[in-house]
Amino acid sequence: MEGISILDGKYAATMDMYPLQSKEFNMIYKFYDYLREGRFTTTKCKDCGTRSFPPRIICEECLSENLDWVDLPTGGTVKVVTEEVRGVPIGFDDPLIHALIDLDGELTYFARVINCQAGELKPGDRVKLAVFPIDPLPVDGRKGEIIKQERVFFAFEKED
Amino acid sequence: MARNVCLIAGGMSHWGVRQATQRDLFQEAGKACFDNIPALSNKDVDGLLVASAYTERCSFQTHLAPVIAEYLGIKPQNICARVELLCASGSSGIILAYGLIKAGIADVIMVIGGEMLYTPQRWEVQYSELASVDHDWDGTQGLGLPPPAFSMVAQQHMQKYGTTEEQLAMVSVKNRRNGLSNPKGQFQQEVTLEEALNARAIVPPLKLYDCCPITDGAAAVILASEEKAKYYTDKPLVYVKGSGQATLNNMSANMPSWTTWEALKIAAKQAYTKAGVQPSDIDVAQTHDCFTISEIIEYEDLGFCEKGEGGHFIEEGHSDIGGTVPVNTDGGLLSCGHPFGGTGIRQGIEIMKQLQGEAVKQVEGARTALTHNLSGFIAAHTVIIYGRDI
Repeated sequence: MEGISILDGKYAATMDMYPLQSKEFNMIYKFYDYLREGRFTTTKCKDCGTRSFPPRIICEECLSENLDWVDLPTGGTVKVVTEEVRGVPIGFDDPLIHALIDLDGELTYFARVINCQAGELKPGDRVKLAVFPIDPLPVDGRKGEIIKQERVFFAFEKED
Repeated sequence: MARNVCLIAGGMSHWGVRQATQRDLFQEAGKACFDNIPALSNKDVDGLLVASAYTERCSFQTHLAPVIAEYLGIKPQNICARVELLCASGSSGIILAYGLIKAGIADVIMVIGGEMLYTPQRWEVQYSELASVDHDWDGTQGLGLPPPAFSMVAQQHMQKYGTTEEQLAMVSVKNRRNGLSNPKGQFQQEVTLEEALNARAIVPPLKLYDCCPITDGAAAVILASEEKAKYYTDKPLVYVKGSGQATLNNMSANMPSWTTWEALKIAAKQAYTKAGVQPSDIDVAQTHDCFTISEIIEYEDLGFCEKGEGGHFIEEGHSDIGGTVPVNTDGGLLSCGHPFGGTGIRQGIEIMKQLQGEAVKQVEGARTALTHNLSGFIAAHTVIIYGRDI
C-alpha cells in the first residue's frame, strides 16, 4: 500500500491562488469577462454611489445589492518600486518586482510589474494593465468528465 | 460583577527550525507553562484557547483545541476552541481569555499558541504564506511573504522622515543583543551594525537581519481570576489592564496610510484608555518587530515618540535596556523568531517576567507594560496593557 495514491495525477486546486472565474463558480465573474477584453473594472453602488475595490456583490457602505460595473484606469504612475530577490513564492519569477501604482487618482494599488528587469523600473514611470492567461483548472463535470476552466489574470507592465 | 484578571504562568518550547510535529511543540510549551506554576495542575484548568494560523495548511489538522487538550491532560468545562488572527492569534487568545474570566464564564484558562511551519517540505513555506493576505487579490500579485510590503513602507518612511538604513540596522543589533541570553529563541548570536548593513539583500533596502525568520515553535500562558491567582501563586500579581484590537482595511489597495498605521493608533488608544494609562507610563514593551522598520513605526504610533522620530528614538538608545522604554527585551521576533500563533504569547510571558522582577534583561522597577502585534498585510493591530497595579 502506497501513501497518498489518491492524489496521483490530480491537481490540488485549493493550493492555487487564482480563483475560478466562470459564472458557475464566481458571482463576480464579470470582472474576469471584462479583463479578457482588456478592461480593469470594479463595482459601484447605484444607491449611495460608493465605488468599491475589490469588486463585490454587496455595497460595504449601505449594504445594497444594487451595483453597477464601472471602469478603472488601465494606466498609472509608479510611486515606489520593490524588487524581491530572495524568498519569492513558488510560481513567481525571481526577482519579483512590485510597485505602488497611482491609478490616476482612482486607486493606489500595490501590484506586480511583469516584463521588467531588476533596476529598470523607477518612480514616476508610467505602467499599464497587462492581462495574461494562467493555467486552466480542472473541475469535475456532471458525468465524471473533467472540464478545464480557462482563466486569465493581470499585472502591470511599463508603457512603451 | 466584573472581576480582575491576572497572568499567572508562562512557558515556551524551543523555537527555531524544529524536527518535531505540531503536537510535539504544543506539549513542550504546555509542560514548560505548567512547570512555571507548581501549585496548579492541568486538572485545575477549566478553559483552553489554542492559537494557530497554519494548522490546516501545514499539519492538516482542524478542531485543534481538543487535540491539544487531550495531549496536555486538560479537561476544559467552559471553553475549548481555536483562535486565528495570523501573527496576532496568540494575543487574540489572551484578550478572549481576559474577557471570559472577567465576565465569570471561566476561572482558569490556558492560552497556548504556535505553528509547525517548516512542513511537509521546507520550500512550501513560501507558497503557504499566500494565504496570509487577501488570497484572491493580493496573493495573486505574489504578495504572500511580507518583505515587499515592508520594503515599500521603509522606502516611504525614509523619504518622508529621513529614516536611515543605519537606524533600521540598529533595531536588529539591539534585538539580537537582547536575545543572546534567551535559551528558547531561534538565534543567540549577536549581529554587529556592520554585519547588518552588509548582509545580503532580501527586498532592498531590507537586508537579511532586517527581517524576522520563519519559525516552528509554541508558547503557553495561564490566566486566572484574581481570587484564583492568589490561591495558586505567591508571585507578584500581573494584571491585564486593558486591550484594543483594530482593523481598517485588509486588501493593500485600501490601506489608509503606509507610514502611519491608523489601526495601530486606534488599538493603542483603546488599550491606554481602558487601562487608564498614558504612553509615558509604559516601563517596558514588546512590539511586533517582524521587520526593523515595523519597530520604528511602532515607537511613533504607540506614542513613545513624535511621528517621524522613530529613527532617532532607536539611535539615541531610548528603546534599549536603560532607555525610557526598553522594547523587545527578550529579543523580539528578530531574535526569537515568529511562529505566528506563538508570538503574542511569548510577548505576554516576557512582560509577566518583567513585572514579576524575574526577567533575564530586567527593567528595574517595571510596573506597567505593553505588548503589540500587527497581523496580515499590516491589516490589524492588537495592543494589550499589563500592570502590577489595577
